Amino acid sequence: MNLQADSSKQLIQQRLNLFYVPIIAVGALLAVRLWQLQILSGAEYTLLAEKNRIRTIQVVAPRGTITDRNGIPLVENRPSFNILLYRESVTNTDETAAFVTARLGISQEDFSAILSRSKALPVYHPIVIKEDVGIDDISVVEAHKQEHPELQVDREPRRLYRYGQVGAHVVGYVSEVSGDELAKGTFPGARVGSLVGKFGVERTYNDKLTGDDGSRVVLVDSLGREVGLLEEVDSVIGDNLQLTLDLELQTTAQSLLEGKVGAIVAMDPGNGEILALASSPSFDPNNFSTRISPEAWNQLVNDPDRPLQNRAIQNAYPPGSIFKVIMAEAGLDEGLVDDNTRVFCRGSAFFYNREFHCSAKQGHGSVGIEDAIARSCNIFFYELGRRLGISRIAEHAQALGLGTKTGIDLPGERSGLMPSPEWKQRTRGVKWYVGETISVSIGQGAVTTTPIQMLRAIACIASGGRLTTPHVLLRAEGVKDESQFRTEQSALIDPEAMSTIRAGMWQSVNNWGTGHSAAIPGLDICGKTGTVQVIGAERKKELDGNLPALEDHSWFVGFASRDTPEIAVAAFIEHGGKGGITAAPLAREVFRVYFARKQSPVLITKAAPAGSGGRP
Amino acid sequence: MKVNRRFLLSFDWVWFLALLGLAGTGLLAIWSTTVGTSLESYLGRQVVYLCVALVAFLILLYFDYHLYSDYIILAYVSGVALLTLVLVIGRTVHNNKSWINLGGRAFQPSELVKIVVIVALAKYFSESDREDLDLRELVTGGLIVLVPMVLVILQGDLGTAVTFVPIYAALSVIAGLRRKHILVFLLAGALVIPAGWMMLKDYQKNRIQTVFDPSNDPRHVGYQTIQSKIAVGSGRFLGKGFRQGSQGQLGFLPARHTDFVFASWAEERGFAGSVAVLGLFILVALRLLRAAREAKDKVGTLICAGVLSLYWFHVTINVGMALGLLPIAGIPLPFVTAGGSSLISSFAGMGICMNIRMRRYIN
Repeated sequence: MNLQADSSKQLIQQRLNLFYVPIIAVGALLAVRLWQLQILSGAEYTLLAEKNRIRTIQVVAPRGTITDRNGIPLVENRPSFNILLYRESVTNTDETAAFVTARLGISQEDFSAILSRSKALPVYHPIVIKEDVGIDDISVVEAHKQEHPELQVDREPRRLYRYGQVGAHVVGYVSEVSGDELAKGTFPGARVGSLVGKFGVERTYNDKLTGDDGSRVVLVDSLGREVGLLEEVDSVIGDNLQLTLDLELQTTAQSLLEGKVGAIVAMDPGNGEILALASSPSFDPNNFSTRISPEAWNQLVNDPDRPLQNRAIQNAYPPGSIFKVIMAEAGLDEGLVDDNTRVFCRGSAFFYNREFHCSAKQGHGSVGIEDAIARSCNIFFYELGRRLGISRIAEHAQALGLGTKTGIDLPGERSGLMPSPEWKQRTRGVKWYVGETISVSIGQGAVTTTPIQMLRAIACIASGGRLTTPHVLLRAEGVKDESQFRTEQSALIDPEAMSTIRAGMWQSVNNWGTGHSAAIPGLDICGKTGTVQVIGAERKKELDGNLPALEDHSWFVGFASRDTPEIAVAAFIEHGGKGGITAAPLAREVFRVYFARKQSPVLITKAAPAGSGGRP
Repeated sequence: MKVNRRFLLSFDWVWFLALLGLAGTGLLAIWSTTVGTSLESYLGRQVVYLCVALVAFLILLYFDYHLYSDYIILAYVSGVALLTLVLVIGRTVHNNKSWINLGGRAFQPSELVKIVVIVALAKYFSESDREDLDLRELVTGGLIVLVPMVLVILQGDLGTAVTFVPIYAALSVIAGLRRKHILVFLLAGALVIPAGWMMLKDYQKNRIQTVFDPSNDPRHVGYQTIQSKIAVGSGRFLGKGFRQGSQGQLGFLPARHTDFVFASWAEERGFAGSVAVLGLFILVALRLLRAAREAKDKVGTLICAGVLSLYWFHVTINVGMALGLLPIAGIPLPFVTAGGSSLISSFAGMGICMNIRMRRYIN
């Protein structure tokens, strides 16, 4: 019995030894785990703990302001408020959703859409759920701070485009940076949700306009409530810009385009400063300054007249008779024509076995080069084109900046096209037909130019051979020499040729030429009209000549005054009809406003209506 | 037994001081994480509970433990009756209807019933002279555990209910399990565990699932595990210092003075402090094991083994949870977690075991 008890006791002792296993195993496991968490991953968890309690709130810096050349503010900032959602502080998604729908007027679908759109963002990144809110929404959020610490009101400076549609294509607009742009690093320093310049000056000088964002580093508790401020860094506003635009002239240009599709550009021919650049139809950049649901955006994008397009630089059109100015320069410079050269115009002529027509059916009679420019005689320039040949035409046109971008400091410029036999061989694999040279001679055929290119070429002629780079930036804060933003080009143009062309262009406006409706008494305006056939005259008749889409494009390019050119103007109206009828009066109005202010006010009242002008 | 020189000599001071060290750790951690907050009253109450626990400890030490084991049937019956009463008049705290009002304070009878069950089962198993248990004894022993366990399950307190399992398992093993019974147990386990899984509530399943992937749902279940690991990890070697633990102080750590008190401690005292506390826990476990080995009789051995299994189960589950190794379960850390029921129950268990140790030579 005792023996049995002893053996039983021994058994129990053996069984008790089993307890060492969980004690030692668990003890060792927990110690190793502590080592792993606290020693090996200690730094990592310290960071996570810091991130938990410290919230860095970005304070968006206002962008620099933009003024016109006289310091009149065009673009400023206004304070605005957004409602942010801190997803890490959401305890109950349904409750938050219910509150947001009931009290902030965000629909359930919109809210879900915002949430799913932001899924890829780190959870500590606050997301904007309602932008540019009023005092009502702010009060709701502030009043429920305790129950809904995940919702917060955030200040954000917002762009204010004081003149809306006026100059919209120049100043451009800002909108939220896209995922693509972030991935490509298009905008250094931009974060998800940043508003960046997407168009116009806002885009070109985005880096200068962007300020340095500030931040507030705050201590938060587990519900995301601020319990202390650790650090505050003020934001620094971006650099202010002064543009070359003249608000008055810009407003004039914009209103002249009202109801039309086209562009008006005014420039100082001496230095390339753009005084006005209007494109029509226009848009209101204020509509872009919010991130969410731009219904206006879709409307703009789907508008058949494409209001977002800057027609002054982004569209290339055949120059029509404006091109004759280039031809004249080429002919004079090459010595193929001079002041004594005369060509007889019968209204039509045969070149390479094909009949080509002049604008005047009955013909201009015997014309010299000045007359040919003033009355826009096709026959003279057909003949000149035949003598020059396409290569020399292209050479001179290119020297005047055609077929290449002008380098204007606005995004999206097109280069147009100055065709040559090599170009045709390369792109179409077909030989150049000499007949095409005849068409190109009057700015038809494959040649296309943007309004800014033609303006620049004419300005070069006006200024005696200086090919400037058009630009809209006059002064940038913190920059000593703004010319660093542009590349100055130059073309050597024969001064004698210049004066002959100027005389022709003067006659066009002031001596019953095609540009006479641009005339202002007392002003030596020089100009050249252009009328671009959209389709051939016969075909037009077949189709029904009244369709607006088949109407000719209307051009006028000119400068004033003849001897001391200070302003060059290009006006272009799509399907506007004859250049002398539609475009020329628009240019005249720009000249009038410019000189009215500059010279004597009397001129304004005396300005004669179209057709009654002429040199005294 | 007289409180004389011999009593004081046989008193295991190292063991007792280890217990006081653990209780002191608890007080410090509770002080640090609750002072200046709405939880401030916890510290004062914990001091009171500690006093009550120490009195209970000394009383249980004073009388021969056979007194308890001989009359355990009375305690057992009243315990079961109390648990039934709780079901009827109990208070609900955190989904669990396991609390009753005792003098204005919520009290959890299930904590004390655990000790009663240990003594009852030890007493029952010790009455067998054989080297192992027969089926009848095994089943009867099972029922002794199962009745209060089912009552606790009915209260909705699954965490506490689970702690009955190691008691039964440990005492069966020590009392002697036959090989075929082991097989039966394994088979039963294989059947019961999937069935039990299906009976779990969704939040309970979530808790288990998130152990394996805590980042799965950071705001809800895994959130607590993640925050606990951040608290522990960011404590690094020496800790952030008294009241400097941002995870605990700013409320990122859930239940920072109760279920996750170890994480609070680890954050503020670092690896050094954590390992020190872990060392105290192991020391106490080894003392319990020694008490079991050197006990004068089988009932003493079994009681100590039962207390050891319960105590170690609590330590494993609670610390394992704080370190992100085990699912989140509302199982308190003995001696440390704020709360009277757990503290008193823990000291009561230790009181009986030290009683057994001190009477190992007495016939």
